[in-house]
Amino acid sequence: MTGKMVTRRQFLKHAGATAALLGLSEAMIPQLAKALQELAAGKPPIIWIQGQNCTGCSISFLNSNYPGVAELVLDKLSVRYHPNVMAGTGQTAVQAIKDTVAAAKGGKGFYVLVVEGPVPTSENGEYCTFGLTDKTKTLANTNVQVPGDKTINEWMRELVPGAAAVIANGNCAAFGGIPAANASTTGSTPVSEVVAKIDPKKPMVNVGGCPSHPDWFVGTALQALIALGVLPGGTPLNLNENKMSKTFFGQLIHENCERRASFDAGLFLEDWNDASPDMRLCMFKQGCKGPVTYADCPTRRWNSAVNWCVGANGPCHGCASPQFYKELAPLYEPLPNVNFAGITPAADVLGWVAAGATAVGVGAHYLYKQLGHKPEEAEGGEK
Amino acid sequence: MAQVISIDPVTRIEGHLRIDVEVTNGVVTDAWSSGTMFRGYEMLIQGKHPWDAQQVMERICGVCPLVHGTAASYNLDSAMGVTLPDNARLIRNLALGANFIQSHILHFYHLVALDYIDVTAVLQYSGSDPGLKLLRDNVAALAATKDLYPFLPRYAAPDYIGEAGGPGDPNLATELVGHYVQAFEMRKKAQEMLTIFYGRMPSFVGTIPGGVTTPPTLSNIAAFRSRLHDLQAWINDVYVADVKAIATIPAYSAFIKAGDSGGNFLAYGGFDQNQRGTEKYFPTGVITDYGVLSPGPFDEKQITESVKYSWYKDATEGLQPAVGKTEPQVGKAGAYSFLKAPRLNGKPMEVGPLARQLVKKDPAFMALATALGVLTPPVKFGIIPRIGARAVETLLISLEMDKWLDQLTLGIGKNIWDPKGRDIPNSSNGMGLVEGPRGALGHWITISDGKTGNYQAVVPTTWNASPRDKAGNRGPIETSLIGIPVPDVTNPINVVRCVRSFDPCIACAVHIIHPEHNGVLEFRVV
Repeated sequence: MTGKMVTRRQFLKHAGATAALLGLSEAMIPQLAKALQELAAGKPPIIWIQGQNCTGCSISFLNSNYPGVAELVLDKLSVRYHPNVMAGTGQTAVQAIKDTVAAAKGGKGFYVLVVEGPVPTSENGEYCTFGLTDKTKTLANTNVQVPGDKTINEWMRELVPGAAAVIANGNCAAFGGIPAANASTTGSTPVSEVVAKIDPKKPMVNVGGCPSHPDWFVGTALQALIALGVLPGGTPLNLNENKMSKTFFGQLIHENCERRASFDAGLFLEDWNDASPDMRLCMFKQGCKGPVTYADCPTRRWNSAVNWCVGANGPCHGCASPQFYKELAPLYEPLPNVNFAGITPAADVLGWVAAGATAVGVGAHYLYKQLGHKPEEAEGGEK
Repeated sequence: MAQVISIDPVTRIEGHLRIDVEVTNGVVTDAWSSGTMFRGYEMLIQGKHPWDAQQVMERICGVCPLVHGTAASYNLDSAMGVTLPDNARLIRNLALGANFIQSHILHFYHLVALDYIDVTAVLQYSGSDPGLKLLRDNVAALAATKDLYPFLPRYAAPDYIGEAGGPGDPNLATELVGHYVQAFEMRKKAQEMLTIFYGRMPSFVGTIPGGVTTPPTLSNIAAFRSRLHDLQAWINDVYVADVKAIATIPAYSAFIKAGDSGGNFLAYGGFDQNQRGTEKYFPTGVITDYGVLSPGPFDEKQITESVKYSWYKDATEGLQPAVGKTEPQVGKAGAYSFLKAPRLNGKPMEVGPLARQLVKKDPAFMALATALGVLTPPVKFGIIPRIGARAVETLLISLEMDKWLDQLTLGIGKNIWDPKGRDIPNSSNGMGLVEGPRGALGHWITISDGKTGNYQAVVPTTWNASPRDKAGNRGPIETSLIGIPVPDVTNPINVVRCVRSFDPCIACAVHIIHPEHNGVLEFRVV
C-alpha cells in the first residue's frame, strides 16, 4: 500500500535500515534484502489467534516503526486472520481461516500461526472460545437452538498441524505470564506445551515481553521464515534455552543499561523528587530486574525509540523474563541479598530468584570488580 | 418469521465477544451479548506488596493499560493518604489524554470506519490527488494478486450506493482508506507522546503511588507539545471531518436514532482540575430515562451486580462491588456470558463518550447533536451520536492538554511525588474512579497487614456489554440492537456496526477471580 516500485538497490538500502533496527548482523543484510523482496512478492500468510490475551501484544505490533505497521500488514505480510485488524467478522472471518488452511493442505502455500495469550484447557477449554461449532446450545430464555462455542484449544488442534511454524507472541503465550497464576482454575497452558502435545516436531519460537516489542516479533518471525527455508538464506534459528531469539534476548538489560555507570558508582534513586534526567540514577534500589532479565530494551528502546522503562525513572520489571510476574515480585523491592559493600553470595542467592544461570550477571560483575579479574562464572551471564 | 443469527467472533473490538440476535421481518427483535473468555489474576497480588497491584492491574488489558494503571494509582494514593503534587496530577492528565487520543483514533479508523464505505470503490478513484492515485494503484496491485487481506473479505453493506458523497463514492472511499493508513502513524505518535513521561506503551512505569516518575523539563514538555500540535491539527481536519462526512450521509440517517441503549447514562467524571479532584474536566453525573437536562448525583453504593445469566454461582447474586464475590460456574443453566451485569439502582447504564458528553453538554457536542437532529423528538441516541461524541471529545481533550502543558511548565523544578506513597498502612481502604476512553472505571483496594487483600474493579465494558440481570433487563448493547435493520439475515453488518459503536473491550470486562479464595482475600475485576 505504501508500496513503491522498489529496485533491488532500494531494497538493499531498506534492508540495511531494517537490519539495523532489528539488531541483526550486517553480514545478514543481503540475505535479509532478499527475504524482504520475497516477502513483497509472495506475502507469507499469517493466522493470528488470541487465547487468554489482553491484546497488548497486538497493540504493540501496531506501534511498529520502520517498517511501519501499514507497510507490514499491507505490503509484507498477508494477514488472513487477526481479530482486531481484519475486515471480516463472524462467518466471513472464520472463512478466511478455512480458506488459508485449505490452500496449505492442497499444497498451494503455507501459513504461520501466531498465538497471543495462553490456552486454557480446564472445563474442556471453555474459558476461552471464538467461532461456532456444529454442537448446539439453547439460547437463554428461549427454546431456540444456536451453534455452540469453539474453544481455542480446538482451534489449536485444527491449526497447528498445517502451520509452517508457530510463534508464541508475548510472555503470556510463551510462558503463561499473568493468566498462568490462575492455572489451577482455567488450566491456562503456554502455547509451546499445547503445540508439543499436538506435534512435538513442529517448529516453534517464543517471543517474550509483556508486551512483546514489535521488532522482537517481526524480527523473530523473519528469522523463523528464513530458517524454515520459506525465505532464502538458510540461517538456522539461534535460540536460547527458552526458545527465544538470541538476537533480541541474548544479553542482560543490566549489561547494556545507560545507567550502568551509576550502578557501578553506587548512585541510586531513593526519592522520585530527585529524579532529574541529568542524574541518570540507577533504579536498582527501586526493584530493577534488569540484572536478571535478558532483553535488548536499553539499546532498542520502545515506541519509535522515544523512551524505555528505566529512561522514565522506572525500574525494569523483568517483563521479558519467563519468571514474570510471580517469581519476580515484589516488583519495587531490590533483588535480595546483593551487598553493595563488597563480595556477597549474590550469584548463588539470585539464582533461586530467577532461574539458575540467568541470574549470574550481577554477582559475577561484583566479583570481577572486587577481584580485578573476570571469574569463570561471569561467562554464565551471557548464556 | 423470527430467525436467530449467531455472530462469533465479533472482530475489530478488543477480546472475545459473541452476539446472538433474533431477527423478525428484517429488524432485530431480541439480542444476547456473550463475553467468551476468562482469565484469573487474584492469586497474583493477594498478599503481595500493594505497589505491585498497579503493575498487574494495568495488564488487565493491552488496549486500556493506561486507564487501569491510572485508576490503580489513584486507588493506592487514597489508601495511603497521599497529597498528590500538582505536577503529578497534570502529568497523569496528559498521559491519560494522550491515551484517549490514540484509543479513539484507533477505534474510528481501524475498527469502525471501513464499515461505512465500499472499500472496493477505491479502484474507481478518478480524482487527481497524487497520493490517492498511488493508493488506488496499490490497491489495484493487491487486487491483481487476489490478496486483499486484511481489507477483504468482509460483509458488504446493502447501503453501499455509488452516488457522490455516499458510501460507495470512490472519492470518499479513497480518502477514508488513505486516512486509515495515515491513522496508523497518528495513533503511534500519540503513544510516543505519552511514552515521554511514562517510558513505554502498552504497559508503562511512569505513574506510582504518590505521584509520577518523570519530572517536567523544558525539553520533555517541548517534545510532548510538538506531537500534540500535530495531532490536534489532524484530529480537527481529518478525524472530526471524516466523522461528520459519514454522519451526514443520507443512507445512514437511520443510525442517528437506531442503536439507542435505553436512556440511562453514567459518568464518574475524570481529569482532575485541582489537587483534591473536586473539579474535573469531565463532570460526574447520572442520567436516567433520557433526562439529559437534569443529570443526578452519582452514589457508588447504588451499584450492584447480577449473575443470573452469567457463568458464576447464583449465591453471589446482587452484591455491591465492595463486598462482591465471583465464583465461576462454567455451563450454568441459562447463563451465557463471563460478564456480570452491573446495575445502578437496578438500572443498566451506558458509559463512555456519549454518556460523558450528555452529562457535560459541551457546546461543540451539542452543536453536532443539534445539526444531526439527535435532540428532536423522539429523543434517541443511536450509533452516529455515539461515534460523534467520541470524535468531538478527542478534539476537546487535545485542546485542553495544551492548558495542562502550560501549567506544567510552571511546575518545572517542583515535586512530582509524595513520599507518603511509600508508607504502606497496616490496614486501609482505597478507591480510584476515572474516565477511560470506553467510560467510567473504578478500582477499589483493601490493604490488610500491609499487603493487598481485596482488590476490585468495575470496568466500562461490563456496564455496556453486560447480559440480562435478575429482573430480566437487557444490558445496554443488547437493548441498542433491538430495532436495528437486518434486511438480509446472511449479512448482519448493521449488527456489528452497532456493537462496534460502543468500542467494547472484553478483556477488561470479564471477571478475573479465583474460585478458591478464602472469602477474605479476594481480588476481582468486574
